[in-house]
Amino acid sequence: MDLERVTGLIAEESKGMNEVIVSMQHINKSFPGVKALDDVSFELRSGEVMALLGENGAGKSTLMKILSGVYTRDSGELYIFGKEYADLSPRLAREAGVAIIHQELNMCRHLSVAENMFLGRELRGRLSLRNADMEREARKYLDELGVDISPRQTVGDLPVSKQQMIEIAKALSVNARILIMDEPTSALTSREIDDLFKIIRQLKAQGCGIVYISHRLEELSHIADRVTIMRDGQYITEGNFSDFTMDEIIQNMVGREIKEKFPRVSCKKGRKVFEVKHLNAGRMVRDVSFDLYEGEIVGFAGLMGAGRTETTRAIFGIDPKESGEIILNGESLSINKPMDSIKAGVVLAPEDRKKDGLCTKLSVRQNLALPNLDIICNKAGVVRSGEEKELCDKAIADLRIKLPDTEVNVDTLSGGNQQKVVVGKWLARNSKVVIFDEPTRGIDVGAKVEIYNLMNNLKEQGIAVMFVSSEMPEVMGIADRIIVMCDGRITGELDAKATSQNEILKLATAFENKIISADDGK
Amino acid sequence: MTGDKRGVFTPAGRCEMNNRKGIKRILAIRGMGAAITAFAGLIVIYVAFGILNPKVFSGQNILNLLRSMSKYLLIGIGQSYVMITGNIDLSIGSVVGMSAMLTATLMTLGVPPLVAMLISLCCGLMIGVINGFLVGKFRLPPFIATLGTMFVARGIGYMVNGNRNTDNIGIKLGKEVGDRFQDFFYYGKTAGIYNTFWIALVIFIALFFLLSKTRTGRHIYAIGSNVDAARLSGVDVVATTIKTYLVSAFCSVVVGFILCAQAGMGNMEAGNTYEMYAVAAGVIGGVSPLGGSGLLLGTFAGAAVWQTLENGLNMVGAQVGIQRIVIGVIVVFAVLADAVLRTGNGLKKSK
Repeated sequence: MDLERVTGLIAEESKGMNEVIVSMQHINKSFPGVKALDDVSFELRSGEVMALLGENGAGKSTLMKILSGVYTRDSGELYIFGKEYADLSPRLAREAGVAIIHQELNMCRHLSVAENMFLGRELRGRLSLRNADMEREARKYLDELGVDISPRQTVGDLPVSKQQMIEIAKALSVNARILIMDEPTSALTSREIDDLFKIIRQLKAQGCGIVYISHRLEELSHIADRVTIMRDGQYITEGNFSDFTMDEIIQNMVGREIKEKFPRVSCKKGRKVFEVKHLNAGRMVRDVSFDLYEGEIVGFAGLMGAGRTETTRAIFGIDPKESGEIILNGESLSINKPMDSIKAGVVLAPEDRKKDGLCTKLSVRQNLALPNLDIICNKAGVVRSGEEKELCDKAIADLRIKLPDTEVNVDTLSGGNQQKVVVGKWLARNSKVVIFDEPTRGIDVGAKVEIYNLMNNLKEQGIAVMFVSSEMPEVMGIADRIIVMCDGRITGELDAKATSQNEILKLATAFENKIISADDGK
Repeated sequence: MTGDKRGVFTPAGRCEMNNRKGIKRILAIRGMGAAITAFAGLIVIYVAFGILNPKVFSGQNILNLLRSMSKYLLIGIGQSYVMITGNIDLSIGSVVGMSAMLTATLMTLGVPPLVAMLISLCCGLMIGVINGFLVGKFRLPPFIATLGTMFVARGIGYMVNGNRNTDNIGIKLGKEVGDRFQDFFYYGKTAGIYNTFWIALVIFIALFFLLSKTRTGRHIYAIGSNVDAARLSGVDVVATTIKTYLVSAFCSVVVGFILCAQAGMGNMEAGNTYEMYAVAAGVIGGVSPLGGSGLLLGTFAGAAVWQTLENGLNMVGAQVGIQRIVIGVIVVFAVLADAVLRTGNGLKKSK
């Protein structure tokens, strides 16, 4: 064959396949009180899969929301296919060829596959819609992806994996060349992941650029060409995926000084008070067993969606349990609803303070009294205000809640003080086990220390503390023991003083279903 | 590597789709199951009453039935449009009353019927636009927004004739004009069936087409199913919401004409609580008050069920109290059955 022509073709092809299609330079973005992105730069080339990595809160999603026009940046430049966009709206982004495949899928469940794919840009005849044409078009794109879905099927009847394929087909049908996939495999089985990877490779071959966000580091080796790593809203590094070892990636993701100021108190470990045996509740809580001891804080580490919150909900009786036993002081508890758990002395400070933890439109007094009304009411159900006041004053004094008056609305307090009110509700009941789910989320550093002291305080009183947190430094700094969860299972138990973040992260990404390589299968 | 697999199942799938016609294809339409169930229920109820009192089967009774169900059909269509977007319209009954009072008052003042109707229509549609803006644009809870316009429209209906029912509509226009209006909307027949039914049927077919075959219709379902997804797909949520309330107002205004023609005058309480009858007609026919699903065919069946019950219970001599109770129970059961089916037999499956 003509050698010159061949090299010419290769050059042309590589030109088409390797040009920079997205360039984001020195992007800054602040939300009230937080600098979400600090001088971040990012590049995507055609025909590549760019893995965007970072811990929770590193700014990956914010960056991608800027690229898709959902957020506007404070400063910085943004080029898509070489064209500068000063002001990018979701619609402009779509027209420029950017599509996001969301983690939580955004579809009309009642409509059919074809109807969803053509929503907002239906094909119309003179009088009515051209359904047959739309179905044919939809089928064309679905066939291109090699997925066996009828365009007539109702989307709500399809499994999540198929819905995801429809989102991808929809993106292709609007001619998207830049696909952002946010945790696309989190709800898929290994077989489905395999199919997804095949499609990603196919899209790559067609010259699409793909941004791939995932916590499952091990699956990256099957598809990622390059990586960009972010941490705390900053750009850290980028490069070819093959140039990094897994340890280097983790090092770059975690990065920060491990020892921060965490006021740990040492305390004599007492007897075993609480035991969970083979707890099962849905897909996210599978065969969970652990013990808690008096005077001990046990940290629960893991990535978002590892099943930790679900575990606390199942224990507390919010979600139904399928099987398993919960034992307090040697006695087996039957917990079917939160009140069972509260009466037994196992209490929960839930993850979303404003949604699940407090009645934000009620006063501090009313919030503190709410779970204790059975104690402070007389037989006729009338609240005895003297006892109510006593209970409030005690909680406020014990936890050093700072507030002008017990009658102020609880949402006027600072995050740290709100968290104290959440805990204060339980103190009047002589609780034995206190479960904290992400107690420091969204509060500033000073208030965090107050929460740590609060947990230490409980620990010194001989209360067993279960401390769920996605921030590894605080788990390592405050907890005595660390239990790591991944994908609904406990994947390891570590001594907090002797472990490293890398060790935790490895356990936190120890997914059960190994990815079948798409290269060798059919 | 992957390319050669394309289109493996295409030819077979396509053939199968094109050949699949007739009953199977109709059954595949979403919401058809509920509509057919409602029609089946209708037949059972009708036959049951017929057995109790054979007069139910008489030609005249069928004609009466068709005529009186037309009112419920029209308001049912309006409410169904709104309910499919996941909203509700409580102003229906008041717009009916306002329309009846306005039309009648204007005619007693000597305004020609066509002009009077046009003015009423404009006023009614105004209420629809206001509802649509409050709900679509300003995102008020539809219950509150249309509760407000419900009182306003009823108030206007009271005021137009100075807080009194009107005189006979022919008082100034002459008996002949008045009779013609009454015949056109209520007493006259075309091809052996009362005009009222023909009017309702024409509107039904037009709005059925709009909902099931056009882009607007598609957007109405999309908004009720997932308003955010619809917005992100480029659907104009505000305009579509306004359209549904306009349809609802239009249907209500026409029912106002019918009631005016039936009485030959304007009654201040015309259309009272019709908005609830409209909800019932839609819900019995399988329109989900939560939005996203339902067919107007179901609403047709629902309106017929409602009227057959009223008519049948009357014919067998049941007192009004019993009628209300039976109707109430049927509405709740229709929705309960839907809720239980939707969650897949909710009670049994939770292990």
